[in-house]
Amino acid sequence: MTGWFDENLVSILNGFAIGSLLFILAVGLSIVFGMMDVLNLAHGAFFLTGSYLAVSFVAGGSWGGYVTALGIAALVGLLAGGALSGMTEPLARRPILDQALLTLGISLIVAEVLSIAYGNDVLSVPPPPGLTGSVSVAGNAYPVYRLMLIVVGLLLALVVWLVVEKTSVGALVRASVADRDMVSALGIDNRKVKFAVLGIGSMLATVAGVLAAPVYGARPGLDKTILILALVVVVIGGLGSVRGALIGALLIGQVESLGRALVPEIASFILFGTLALVLVVRPRGLFGSRKLAHG
Amino acid sequence: MSLPVGTPATPAAIASTTPPRTAERRTGRLLRVALPLVVLVVLAAVPLFVAPFGTSTLSRILIFALFAVSLDLLVGVTGLPSLGHAAYFGVGAYAAGLVAIHWTAEGVVPVLVAAAAGAVAAGATGWLAVRSGGVYFLMLTLAIGELVHQLAQSLASVTGGSNGLYGIPTVRIGGTPLTLPGYVYWFVLAVTGLGYLGLHLVASSPFGGVLRGIRDNEPRMRSLGYSPFRYKFAAFVIAGGFAGLAGGLFAAQVRLVTPSEAGFTTSALVLLAVILGGAGSLWGPILGAAVVVLVRDALGPDLDGHGPLLLGIVFVLAVYVLPRGFAGLRDLLRRRPSPGETP
Amino acid sequence: MPLPESFRPRLPGILTAGMLALALSACGGGSLGEKDTGDAGGDGGGTVRVGLVIPQAGVYTPLGVDMQNGWNLWLDQHDGKMGDYTVETVTADEGEGPDTGVPAIQRLLTEGDVDALVGIVNSATALGVAEQVTEAETPLLIANAGAGPITKDAGSPYVWRTSFTNAQIAAAMGEHLAEEGVGPVYVMAPDYAAGQEVVAGFIEAFEAGGGTVAGQALTPFGKTQDFQPFLSGAQASGAKAVFVFYAGGEAVSFVKQYADFGLKDTLPLYGSGFLTEGGVLAAQGEAAVGVQTALHYSTEIDNESNKEFVEAYREAYDALPTVYAVQAYDAANVLARALKESTDLTGKAITDALDGLGTIDDSPRGPWSFNGQTPEQTIYLREVTDEGGTLLNSVVTDLGVHAQP
Repeated sequence: MTGWFDENLVSILNGFAIGSLLFILAVGLSIVFGMMDVLNLAHGAFFLTGSYLAVSFVAGGSWGGYVTALGIAALVGLLAGGALSGMTEPLARRPILDQALLTLGISLIVAEVLSIAYGNDVLSVPPPPGLTGSVSVAGNAYPVYRLMLIVVGLLLALVVWLVVEKTSVGALVRASVADRDMVSALGIDNRKVKFAVLGIGSMLATVAGVLAAPVYGARPGLDKTILILALVVVVIGGLGSVRGALIGALLIGQVESLGRALVPEIASFILFGTLALVLVVRPRGLFGSRKLAHG
Repeated sequence: MSLPVGTPATPAAIASTTPPRTAERRTGRLLRVALPLVVLVVLAAVPLFVAPFGTSTLSRILIFALFAVSLDLLVGVTGLPSLGHAAYFGVGAYAAGLVAIHWTAEGVVPVLVAAAAGAVAAGATGWLAVRSGGVYFLMLTLAIGELVHQLAQSLASVTGGSNGLYGIPTVRIGGTPLTLPGYVYWFVLAVTGLGYLGLHLVASSPFGGVLRGIRDNEPRMRSLGYSPFRYKFAAFVIAGGFAGLAGGLFAAQVRLVTPSEAGFTTSALVLLAVILGGAGSLWGPILGAAVVVLVRDALGPDLDGHGPLLLGIVFVLAVYVLPRGFAGLRDLLRRRPSPGETP
Repeated sequence: MPLPESFRPRLPGILTAGMLALALSACGGGSLGEKDTGDAGGDGGGTVRVGLVIPQAGVYTPLGVDMQNGWNLWLDQHDGKMGDYTVETVTADEGEGPDTGVPAIQRLLTEGDVDALVGIVNSATALGVAEQVTEAETPLLIANAGAGPITKDAGSPYVWRTSFTNAQIAAAMGEHLAEEGVGPVYVMAPDYAAGQEVVAGFIEAFEAGGGTVAGQALTPFGKTQDFQPFLSGAQASGAKAVFVFYAGGEAVSFVKQYADFGLKDTLPLYGSGFLTEGGVLAAQGEAAVGVQTALHYSTEIDNESNKEFVEAYREAYDALPTVYAVQAYDAANVLARALKESTDLTGKAITDALDGLGTIDDSPRGPWSFNGQTPEQTIYLREVTDEGGTLLNSVVTDLGVHAQP
């Protein structure tokens, strides 16, 4: 048993790194959907925007550039989310597929503009100084930057969980997920809540893009891959649930890492096989409420 | 682009149309019979005037349109937005390609096998999918689509893997191969025309009425004694069958089938074509499909490969300008008949 | 196409727009006639029309740019002439896959009035058009796509190739590693046709030479950002070396992660040359230094033609040439040679002339010849070295002349 554990420790650790990143990415998507029925298919494009911002600012591999990239990405994400919130306002009473059409259109535009601006080559980003190189974990090398990702991801998860579960703002968000009309009847402007949640959710996506850049680089098409992963996480966890997003992200992190290491023969099938399996057993995800199924 | 014969009015259309005067109603009926005929005649005449590339682009539009209308039966009529409909299109395309290569390329045989294969594949997977709804249905169908895509990729000995299934022979009618794009076009036009007709018959039948009832109020239909599961499942299989039919035509026209035919991009594009055209109208998606194919195949290459940018702009504008897709335009026209129009 | 005025207003706008777009493309008058031959261009006036099909959009765009550069460079060096013909190039976008590539080529075949086609990156696209090219009797010179069946099973007298085959390069490396006795090798490639061909080609040659395979992994194609799970498998397998085939974005991620997870210091990495070719090498940076790959070209090949070529290419485009540029450059070269010998511009005459070309002795890649309509050529063993900040694929040795296995 310990032999098995040692052998797969790196894979497990790596699953946590992927999981942390996926959680940062998915939590915004999940709350926005649960609260406002906005299916934001531009989430992946926001992530890629963050990655390309990292390319522009981290070029020299300095902490200054890294922090600048994070700051600018956060600002860009906040503004983009706010703008998206405004753009979806006229669609509030329309079928959810109209929002899918809008946000997918936006993601196509953003991705094309990025490819015009940065070209189609694969661009890579160095980790900030001090986080380059590897450390030894159970006799195997493991990159330091990914260890930091796990720490940052878990910290962010804790912060988001505390905010949503323990503060009055969080209570408002949870109440909006449960019954939007009631919140509105209490005299709270739904649009402001939506603006804030969509803004912060998109900000988390662009920030995740910067954080992931030293690992995944920046390239055309990354947005689509990431969007699908995030959607899978959100759906497995259950829409609108922070806990679901966390469990879903950690589960998919392990599936993508440990799962692939253990059964490489079916690596190509394992992600969507897991999704199908979860939805067959629990048609509304692990922590989804019934109300949302037909949202 | 052939308009349905005797378009069944959707509930929404009925609700939004004020009771027409008799003269207008007569015009309406005339229009409904005449317009499809005129469009059909124009479409049939296309190969006489249009160069081969235009003709084969139009063939692809017709095929993609049939595919989109089959999805509309699910999305618009039954209320099940699928993001994996390309799975059945792909299954049909592979089935037709394999039949044409290994058995016979005789006219309708591969195409009918394709339809059957699409329906069988939809039956095998649909019972799982229709148990869920809304976004969960969207994601479950996405998963099914991706798994089928991956199977096509992995079963290289049968499907040719990512190189695709190539060397599909030209369609034959009575033993004569249709070598010219114009003849292939007529074959495609005939089959898609029958396909549209079939889908309209399904949608306007009492069965289609029950599907709409389930879409609008499932608990009510259940209390009336209908089994929503059975009806949804039947709709899923029928839609899969027609998607397979379209896939079979695709194999006959393009003569190459690759895993991406069953993949996410195809599924997403066809769903967007349905929304762009106006879900539930059964004719709007035809125009939506035309826009998607034209932008991608005909205009894309002239835009330095930035077709997706244009497509994105079209989608965003459409959301605001055409709130109910192209289908919404008809109501606008009907309410404000232009002065030039003959009564 | 004449659209009767009376009902045009009733057709929804986009239908009209669509019809107009089609009408604009209607120049030949109908699609029921046999293939147009011999109007403008073509045989008269001493021009040859060549369709250059390259990716101008999507992930393969950088390859398309290199191919365009190689093609243009050859034409510039020869005053835009092949034999006595003035070359008129019609460029078409291949896109990412056959769904865009096949229609683009169909269009060139039916309306482009081209005498020959050159290009194609994607193997599925190449296989998908092989039959149509044959029906149209238009010679096609493939300047990249490496799938074996293009010139073997699906072979057509009109389809020729100036690039390579996937298994050809892998087999050269397999033979070499078996001879060197590197010990058990772990093999990895993306799970799609080219990857499968490389793995099969490598293992066959390697085992025939007496090597043992420690294990293999086919990674999900286009869906693998993280190679760690498979790298752990390689480490656990007891392999003494790793052989891989990756290209583009996957090549960058793979090589960087191979270094990040510390395998670079313990397991030597070998690959097909695309692992470290062109733009990806710059993105890999230091992580790539020391990686050994097999390919039919390197900028560092020591021959007169290559020196001149690299010099001219640098001058024209301010960049080092890649194998993709050479493949297009050579396609221009062999087409010109064929046109000098050919009696006329029919497909039959051009392909007959291609068949009789013999050794191409002035290629940057060194002498090569057609064998089964695809190159029989020297494969080089290359190692990534850092020459004062510029990463280069230095030539270690040549691995002998190889035909398509």
